[in-house]
Amino acid sequence: MTLIKKILLFFKRESKLFYSNIEDLFSNILFFFLSIFIFVFALGANEQLLRNIGMGIIWSLLLLSSTLSLRKFYEEDFNNGVLKIIHMGGISYELIVFLKILSHFFFVQIPFLASIPIACIFFNLPINEINNLILTFVVGSLILSCLGSISASMNLLNKTNFSIGSIIVLLFCIPVIIFSVGINNSESSFSSLINLLLGIALIFLGISPWSSAAFIKLATRNK
Amino acid sequence: MFNFLINPYKFNKFADIIFKPLVIVTFLTLTAGLLLVYVSPLDYQQGLTVKIMYIHVPSAWLALLTYAIMTIYSIIGLAFKIPFSFIINKAIAPIGAVFTILCLLSGSMWGKPMWGTWWVWDARLTSVAILLVIYVIIIFLNKTFESREVREKTIAIFVLIGSINLPIIKFSVDWWNTLHQPASVSKLSSPSIDISMLQPLLVMTIAFSLLGIIIGILRIKAEILIRKNHL
Repeated sequence: MTLIKKILLFFKRESKLFYSNIEDLFSNILFFFLSIFIFVFALGANEQLLRNIGMGIIWSLLLLSSTLSLRKFYEEDFNNGVLKIIHMGGISYELIVFLKILSHFFFVQIPFLASIPIACIFFNLPINEINNLILTFVVGSLILSCLGSISASMNLLNKTNFSIGSIIVLLFCIPVIIFSVGINNSESSFSSLINLLLGIALIFLGISPWSSAAFIKLATRNK
Repeated sequence: MFNFLINPYKFNKFADIIFKPLVIVTFLTLTAGLLLVYVSPLDYQQGLTVKIMYIHVPSAWLALLTYAIMTIYSIIGLAFKIPFSFIINKAIAPIGAVFTILCLLSGSMWGKPMWGTWWVWDARLTSVAILLVIYVIIIFLNKTFESREVREKTIAIFVLIGSINLPIIKFSVDWWNTLHQPASVSKLSSPSIDISMLQPLLVMTIAFSLLGIIIGILRIKAEILIRKNHL
């Protein structure tokens, strides 16, 4: 079996898992919309205020609701031994992590893209801000997937304190939030900010397979 | 000569020799510093509140210095596989956290009469708050993992990544337009602070760092004893 065929089979398995657990994704999206409603109830229906702070609220809620799905990143596959079986099939742990990140990006983050324009309607955002939001989310969600892979593989090793992984994800998301919300405020530096975001995404695509694979190897040894 | 910095046995011996004189010297320096602060002149604009500076500035410097020491020891520990550096990483993280809290608290007490607010989302203040969050995460990570090897390496890598924050804190007052004043002592040209205020500031800095060294020695010795019993 060639490597490409193995990779295709991996994606086929991921998509089957995704369709069998599709209510999980819908509940994440429901969490996203419900928290938007709660924000609007808390702030009052002042249209001008909501338009000013809309982009920041949408970005931070996207961040929080995508950390909800991080628990399932490796835990099930690790506990029922699928990760080990795939590794025996001749794919290195680094490549497994990379494919996992890509599948998380396609199956969890991209469906959120469809819900972003609807969320923007609630805040009456202008069309160029919606464009910026979608563009930055495509790059930023890749960074979120990489960070999620690191924190989920860290959680395989600790059995007491699960929230520390999410805290680390939130800490490293500070620059992502700064650059992606900052695009709106400064039209002149648009290309430099999007280049910075792309650079961060490439750095994390390089770092996270290596570090997550190290954690997974240690976890399989200790199990 | 500097073997006591990387060898637990030699560190213990060195610390036993140095500890009692160090306590006496610290006590004398702290008393002298507080007396100097008492007799130091008032500011013509700020009045009495300028004396908060003698707590605020040393604790801010030491918060940064503690993190820098942790960064250097993480590099040593990861590159040369010296276990003593992980002992130091675990032992001095709470000291840095306490200095950061002291810096933030005294700063906000100084900010209320001078700027009219306890807190502003200014570049210097925000980056120091992130430093505090990083210290707290390091303290939590120390209690997280079951296997010691994983824990030590994770913390060292996290410290290295977090050290990006140090130059941001140092240069935040130059890069952005901040309410916090720019550096007036640690700059290349002559310091723009009067000598009568610089003297108590430096004495207080020495006293604070000696105090930090004493607590650090106690914590490192306790950590060495714990590891001896477990291994």
